[in-house]
Amino acid sequence: MLRLWVLLVLSLVSIPAAAKTPVIEIEIRNHLFEPSEIVVPANTKIKLMVYNRDPTPEEFESYELNREKVIVGNRKAVIFIGPLKPGEYPFFGEFHPKTARGKVIAR
Amino acid sequence: MLLTSVIIVLREVLEAALIVSVLLAIGRTLPVRVSWVGWAFGFGAIGALLYATNIATVSDWFNGVGQEVVNALLQIAIYIFLMLFIMRVRVDRDEGRGSDKLVSWLMIVSVSLAITREGSELLVYFSGFASDLDLFTPVLIGGVVGASIGISLGALTYYLLLNINRAWTPHIGTVVIALVGAGLASQAALLLIQADWLPSQTPLWDSSNWLPETSVTGQLLYALIGYEATPTPLQGAIYFVALLAPIALIKLLNKAGRRFLPSS
Repeated sequence: MLRLWVLLVLSLVSIPAAAKTPVIEIEIRNHLFEPSEIVVPANTKIKLMVYNRDPTPEEFESYELNREKVIVGNRKAVIFIGPLKPGEYPFFGEFHPKTARGKVIAR
Repeated sequence: MLLTSVIIVLREVLEAALIVSVLLAIGRTLPVRVSWVGWAFGFGAIGALLYATNIATVSDWFNGVGQEVVNALLQIAIYIFLMLFIMRVRVDRDEGRGSDKLVSWLMIVSVSLAITREGSELLVYFSGFASDLDLFTPVLIGGVVGASIGISLGALTYYLLLNINRAWTPHIGTVVIALVGAGLASQAALLLIQADWLPSQTPLWDSSNWLPETSVTGQLLYALIGYEATPTPLQGAIYFVALLAPIALIKLLNKAGRRFLPSS
C-alpha cells in the first residue's frame, strides 16, 4: 500500500509533460487480488503489472475499464488503463469471479 | 463454478457461432459445397490448440503485450477475409457468375481464425481446472451447457436467415457480416489501446447505466455490432471506417469494371 501512495504522490508532483506512466503492481494469490483496491491518479494513463502467483490461469476483466486479458499461471501481465475520470472501476478475475474481485479508485 | 463456466463458454461461442451461421446461410444461396465448414473447424481446432499451448510465450512478446498484438492481428485478419468474402459474393452476383473455390476459401480462413481466437481462450480456461477433477466436472458441464446455448442461437440465426424470402438472405447476411466485422475492427483497436500501441482517450460516451455490457442485450449487441458502453473516439472512428470501407470498395469496383478481384 505504501508503494502505491508513494507512486501516487510522485505522479502528482511530477511535471505533467515529463511524467512517466505510473506503474502499479497487483498480485493474484489463491484466486484473490492483492491489493484488491488500488488508488490511481485521475486523468492519467497507468501501467498495471499483474503477477499471477497461482499455478492456474486467470483472466483480468473489467467492463468499466474496458479491459480483458488472460494471465497464465506463475506469469505476469502488463495492462495499460486510463486516463480515468475520478470514480470507482471494479475489476474481477473472469475464471474465478466469486473470489477474485477488486477495484481501481481514480482520484 | 458451473454458472461461471456457462457464461464464459457462451460468450466465446456466441461470436464464432454468429459468423458461422450467417456464412452457412449465405453459402446455401451460392453454388458452394457445404464441406467448407468441416475444413474451417479442423483448421480452427489446430489453430486454437497451437495458440493455447504457446500462450505464455506469446504473452511475453513485445514487452508483455504480445497477447493484445496477436489477438488484434487475428481480429483484423478475420475482418479482412470477411470483407473480401462479401465483396466477392457481391461481384459474382452482379456479373451473373457462379461462385468458385475462392469464396469457399475465404469462408474457411475467416471461420478458422475466429475459432482459433475464441477456442484458444476456452482451452486456457479449461486447462486451469484440468488437474482438479472435483472442479473440472462442473466446469465441463457448464461448458457444454454454454456451448449448447451458443450453438442454438447460431442455429436460430441460420434458420431465420433462410426462412425469410430466399432472395433477401445474401443481402441481410452481408449486412450482419459487415456489422460483425466492424465490431471486430473496433475490438482490435481496443486491444491495441490496452497494449499502449494506440493512444488512450477519454470515452466518447458512457451508456453503461441504461445498457450495461454485462446484460443479455449488451452481450448480444456486443457479438452482433461490437457494442461498447464506453468507446473512445478512436474506436468509434475505426468502427465507422471499417463499416464503410467495403461499401466504398464495392462502389469503386463497380466503377473500375471490377478488374481488381481475380476472375475465375
